[in-house]
Amino acid sequence: MTVATPAEFEARLRAIGDARYHHRHPFNVRMHEGTLRPEEIRTWVANRYYYQTRIPIKDGLILAKAQDPAFRRDWIGRIHDHDGAREGEGGLELWLALADAVGLDRERVASQCDVLPGVRRACDAYVDFVASHDLLESVASSLTELFAGDIMLTRIAAFEAHYPWVAIEGLRYFQSRTRQAPADAAFGLAYVTREARTREDQDRCAGALERKCEILWSLLDAVDSAHARPRLAADAIPRLDDAEPMVVLSERAVKLGGSGREILTLCDGTRSAVEIVAELSERHPGESHLVEDVHGFIDEMAGLSVLILEH
Amino acid sequence: MGAADAKEGHRPYNLVAELTYRCPLRCIYCSNPLNHREVPDALDGGAWTRAFREAASLGVVHVGLTGGEPTLHPDLPDIVSGAAEAGHYVHLVTAGTTLDGPRLAALHERGLRSVQLSIQDASEAEADEVAGTRSHTKKLAFARQVTDLGLPLTLNAVLHRGNLARVPEIIALARRLGARHLELANAQYHGWALRNRASLLPSAAQLEEAASAVEHARGEADGPEILFVLPDYFSDRPKPCMGGWGRRILVMTPEGRVLPCHDAGEIAGLEFWRYPERSLEACWESSPGILAFRGEDWMQAPCRTCPERERDFGGCRCQAFRLTGDAAAADPACSLAPGHAIVRDARREATVEAPVPVYRGDARSLNR
Repeated sequence: MTVATPAEFEARLRAIGDARYHHRHPFNVRMHEGTLRPEEIRTWVANRYYYQTRIPIKDGLILAKAQDPAFRRDWIGRIHDHDGAREGEGGLELWLALADAVGLDRERVASQCDVLPGVRRACDAYVDFVASHDLLESVASSLTELFAGDIMLTRIAAFEAHYPWVAIEGLRYFQSRTRQAPADAAFGLAYVTREARTREDQDRCAGALERKCEILWSLLDAVDSAHARPRLAADAIPRLDDAEPMVVLSERAVKLGGSGREILTLCDGTRSAVEIVAELSERHPGESHLVEDVHGFIDEMAGLSVLILEH
Repeated sequence: MGAADAKEGHRPYNLVAELTYRCPLRCIYCSNPLNHREVPDALDGGAWTRAFREAASLGVVHVGLTGGEPTLHPDLPDIVSGAAEAGHYVHLVTAGTTLDGPRLAALHERGLRSVQLSIQDASEAEADEVAGTRSHTKKLAFARQVTDLGLPLTLNAVLHRGNLARVPEIIALARRLGARHLELANAQYHGWALRNRASLLPSAAQLEEAASAVEHARGEADGPEILFVLPDYFSDRPKPCMGGWGRRILVMTPEGRVLPCHDAGEIAGLEFWRYPERSLEACWESSPGILAFRGEDWMQAPCRTCPERERDFGGCRCQAFRLTGDAAAADPACSLAPGHAIVRDARREATVEAPVPVYRGDARSLNR
């Protein structure tokens, strides 16, 4: 295939956002409709903080790839935006203000001790992607910012309308991003449309943006599943007393190892993953991997159609 | 089912129950035996039910009702009940042209849990040409009946040079129909498909394009889970066919013969026992045909010492027999196999113009 014109290429990138950006994710849809419960908002805020902490690290990796001083001069502004000029300023600080506003302990959020395994994997995957790809693909992966301005406006309106218990000072991060994201995106888009000179380059950029959309999506999958109440799929047959405990489905049997059998018996549609962790902690005091095990198991089983997640 | 059985290395988790070889379709890649018309439907509902009970004690947990077209077996409702009552997951593999909504709902009541529907292409004209009969529109209506009942739907499309370019449309169709799974199965060159290999075998470029369409679709949310396997003519290594011969999957033919795969009866000189002449356990554990290639003792060079034999189990015995005449030979799909040149030559065929395919069943041309 031949190289697309800059306008065609931009349209292709925007189409990826239309189809795959996380504004379509069920969790964001519910957030913006106003139907999230307070504990779901808090889980999202605590977990998304981990994503925020990865952004300056990702931008530092991009800086280290850039040969052009003009590029670096602009891009370094992103790190300043997140980290602030001094203690108590910047995007990370604003996110902790959001944590305050939703009733979380900011020290605990900053310690990252409640970050869900799936969220950690998604965010680390983004840093790994940038670390292992060239400047062009790394910049292309940042182009989800093209769609960030709109989602911030939607979000501010939704919080004002539906979550009045969240103090208005908490929304300053979103407000700051409505200004920063479009400017950042314009720079990134200009760079990518200029530097992707061949069809192959353009394909690589599109792939990078798709990958980034997947990462944001899977972050929300993990947040979403934490408060959902998992239950066995209607067609699944559990065989927990088999010599090899397993669940049988239409196209596969999934063997249950280790703690899976015990976790599965608690997935009866009445408890959330968070509540299952709490129940198992009482049964097995001192067991240190429960959070990882339970959330990891439920996410994996939902992905295999063994479990259905109900809200 | 005791722990010892699993340790021994073979447990039939799946029973593939071929209820009948009769079928209203005449697909150019049909993998049923070439003499399918001579094979009687020897087992009635009662015999199948007894087989399912015996299967449960061998370790089977999943029964796939297939054929031919399994819905043409007159005792299908009792067969579904029998499998469900023995504790199995009951899965129906159908072409979807023979079952109406009420009959499907009745099977669901009796314990049917999921349905796999075959489609030949994304749109009517092309699909009906491959099936050799008008069927595509009926299939789509049937798919909706499946999902309306809340049954998980798997869509299966056999891929070949004639439809590979339409993989994106096939994926879009699966999404529209609400399929949970989409199997994009590249034609296996057995049965009728081997006769039509030159019309079916795709080029490497076609496969690459389809693979990238699949990759693209996998990133989209809420689509079906897609299984896409390269045809082994284009891989360097053979497939771990059936998860190993006589190891994970037990196939029963319409006449009750117990096979390690649906095709193994075509290998000359192998004796497979029949149910209910012997118990299902005897047929599975001790028939000479099953024992012939279970485990590794039969392997020749280079499989015998190959470190990959634990992954691919030496590949496909039927393919080795078809292409080299020796069922114990290394699968020619493997680039290390002495017979690999046969597969290389076939790949080259794919670059020349395709001949007119031969339809299963008879030599009539299409009424289109």
